[in-house]
Amino acid sequence: MKKGSFGKYLAVTILAVSFGYSGWRALLHSSKEAVGSGVEVIRFAHWQLEPGVREAFVEIADDYMKLHPNVRVEQLSIPGGVWKQWLRTQLVGGEPPDLIELANYNNTDEILARYFVPLTDYLEAPNPYNDDTPELKGLSWRKSFTAELVPDETVHYYSYNLLEYYGVPSALVTVRVFYNRDIIKAALGEDRVPETFDELLQMCEDLQAYGRRIDQPLLPLAGSIFNITKMTSGFFSGTTQKIAIDLDYGHDLTLTKFEGIIGFMRGRWSLDTPAVRASLETVSAIGKYMSPGWVQMNREDAMLQFLQGQAAMLSTGTWDSGGILQQAKFDVGAFKVPSISPDDPRFGKWALGPTSEANIFAALPFGMTRTSKHPERVIDFLRFLTSRRSNAKFSEISTWLPVIKTVPVPPVSEAFRPIADGFISGLIVQNYGSLSTSIFNQNVYLLSGEKANAENYIEHTREMYPKVLWPELSRMAKVFHETIRQKDSVMVGQYRLAKAAGLGRSKFDIVAAKQIEIEAQRLQALRTLEDYPLK
Amino acid sequence: MLTTTGFTAAQETNLDAGWGYLARYLYRDAGEAFAKVPASDWRLRDLGRAASLLNEPPVTKGSIGSAESMLREVIAQGPRDDTTLYAQYLLARIVHMHQDRPVAEVEAAYRAAIDLEPTSPAAQVAASHLALVLLYQRPDLSVAERLAVAAELELVAGNRQLPEVAVAYYRSLAEASLFYEIESEQVVTWLQQAHQVRSGDQLIQISLSLQIAEVSRALGRRDRALTYYREFLATAVPTDQRYYTAKLRMQGLEEAAR
Repeated sequence: MKKGSFGKYLAVTILAVSFGYSGWRALLHSSKEAVGSGVEVIRFAHWQLEPGVREAFVEIADDYMKLHPNVRVEQLSIPGGVWKQWLRTQLVGGEPPDLIELANYNNTDEILARYFVPLTDYLEAPNPYNDDTPELKGLSWRKSFTAELVPDETVHYYSYNLLEYYGVPSALVTVRVFYNRDIIKAALGEDRVPETFDELLQMCEDLQAYGRRIDQPLLPLAGSIFNITKMTSGFFSGTTQKIAIDLDYGHDLTLTKFEGIIGFMRGRWSLDTPAVRASLETVSAIGKYMSPGWVQMNREDAMLQFLQGQAAMLSTGTWDSGGILQQAKFDVGAFKVPSISPDDPRFGKWALGPTSEANIFAALPFGMTRTSKHPERVIDFLRFLTSRRSNAKFSEISTWLPVIKTVPVPPVSEAFRPIADGFISGLIVQNYGSLSTSIFNQNVYLLSGEKANAENYIEHTREMYPKVLWPELSRMAKVFHETIRQKDSVMVGQYRLAKAAGLGRSKFDIVAAKQIEIEAQRLQALRTLEDYPLK
Repeated sequence: MLTTTGFTAAQETNLDAGWGYLARYLYRDAGEAFAKVPASDWRLRDLGRAASLLNEPPVTKGSIGSAESMLREVIAQGPRDDTTLYAQYLLARIVHMHQDRPVAEVEAAYRAAIDLEPTSPAAQVAASHLALVLLYQRPDLSVAERLAVAAELELVAGNRQLPEVAVAYYRSLAEASLFYEIESEQVVTWLQQAHQVRSGDQLIQISLSLQIAEVSRALGRRDRALTYYREFLATAVPTDQRYYTAKLRMQGLEEAAR
């Protein structure tokens, strides 16, 4: 058989098997529906395969089915790697699950508008499953959430363009350092966590010395770009807060990425700015304790290093907590990444204090699809899922932070509690668009290992940043342009629909105002590109 | 009689469906719904078709040109009614955002939309966009002149019939001044005007309080800054990351006053 023909046959066989499997699943699904005629089936899908999440959902679904014997709740856990393709197939195929986890990078406004039901009106009514909690009884479903689901452009449960809620979340997540208690006790003589940046550095030093003492390769920190940049982002932010206030020309105490780039183009800051240099020095101070080659490692490698006891600490999102706790054969602790204190003689000059996590928004939102056969039942289940009692259960089993008011944070998750009384974010050099992130990721090796040195990083990348920040602003202007143009069509519809009832404060009024705001940003970008051309 | 009634109902259904699709970013569905609207209501139908064409993929010079022609017909063949006013405004948007024509043509197109009926909602939105053109696309003017000519549109753009648009207009004047690094009492006045109209968006309203406090602080107007810091702290939403920074800056001012 020719090589080409074999490939062809193999492809056809795989295709046939895939279709056969899909057909079998569909048959199974329809036969289940048939057997349970009169039974309402609710299917919900998500990509959270982290241990604990699925188990928590199973328990809550069981509780609901006990309460409503005519309902069957089915959970579909889809791996993140195939989620996008799976989602597209389900939606276009016309029989998607009733509830689907939402993320704004997966669901465009068009997808939300076409396939999902706006939940705004539902969220403004009370959640009857909270009637047994005096603090929540009578409160709207939306206001029963800890942060009351304040709409913002970055959240996954609200569409800023469609001006509607599309999702109802179940949890909060933060980033923390997980540590091996046994190793820390052996190395430091006690189980203690660092309160300051200097204490963290000292801890790394002690762990390295301990590794030498026992003659075993022990890493203070497990490394991968995914994990370490979670930590460095905090160092950059916490070292540059005062310069962020200076660069915030909009005077609203928020240095947006947009303002940061314009400030750079106007020559207001560079890598040589003392505060920025100091922020890079914080990364090299911690990078000294990283192993050579960590940059090439992935998230799973870092997790393995930690779980096998080769590394004493791992920085990651609290979504990994369930998995870590289940798989680690040692005692696990967690602590907040220490902030740079304003009193720190080396790095504190431009710091205000810990960066606030008050704006960490609720995660794991489920949206209801338009094709759901029994939407009121699905809403009822969603209310049950996000009731005080179920959210407490979810938090307890998954170890994820609760999202409903009055639900206690489980003791094991206490360290995950968001910092509510912190200060604004500073200037995060690694986060100025994907190209600037690439510069950082490709050159962070200069900030790590025994020869870690901020000066080398600055020398090596100084000329690279202008070459990516100009195009980044230009790219942002193009994105704004596209958004603005779309609204021109949308507003005609909104104008005609709202006219009879009055245009003031209508969706037309709100979207027109939003369009003006975005257009101003686009024109500011174009003005800057013209006034400050790349030399 | 029955036939006529039935016919009108279907016509309205298709029009309403078309507006509904447009409002939900579903341009192709909207175009298909408008295509079913009978010729007797061709002006509204073509306003809808033109709006759909602006974003129905693939967007080409030809499809934008067709939208422009339809709108010109709607304006030329009809009375000076609401449909004409909006068509004239949409025409200005095509010239500005979809065809990228020279600034003089863009200005003329917006002024035509305003002059047709300056008290209309379409004129108000047109004036707000014209203000942006004057603020950022007229490098032949000095920065002070850009701000002054944009501020001359206040009577139309600041109309309270569309309060959110009025807020956006005053904010755009203030923020243009700040973009050009001019902190002045005029900036505070514009921010206060926006604040007074009140946005229904809580995040915008609290940000206005903070901006007034911060600009007042920069201008050395301590008492006014303290008033607005206090207002910000009293109204900030639970997720506002700026709360403690604003508090710290307010306390700094209070201590300086002692």
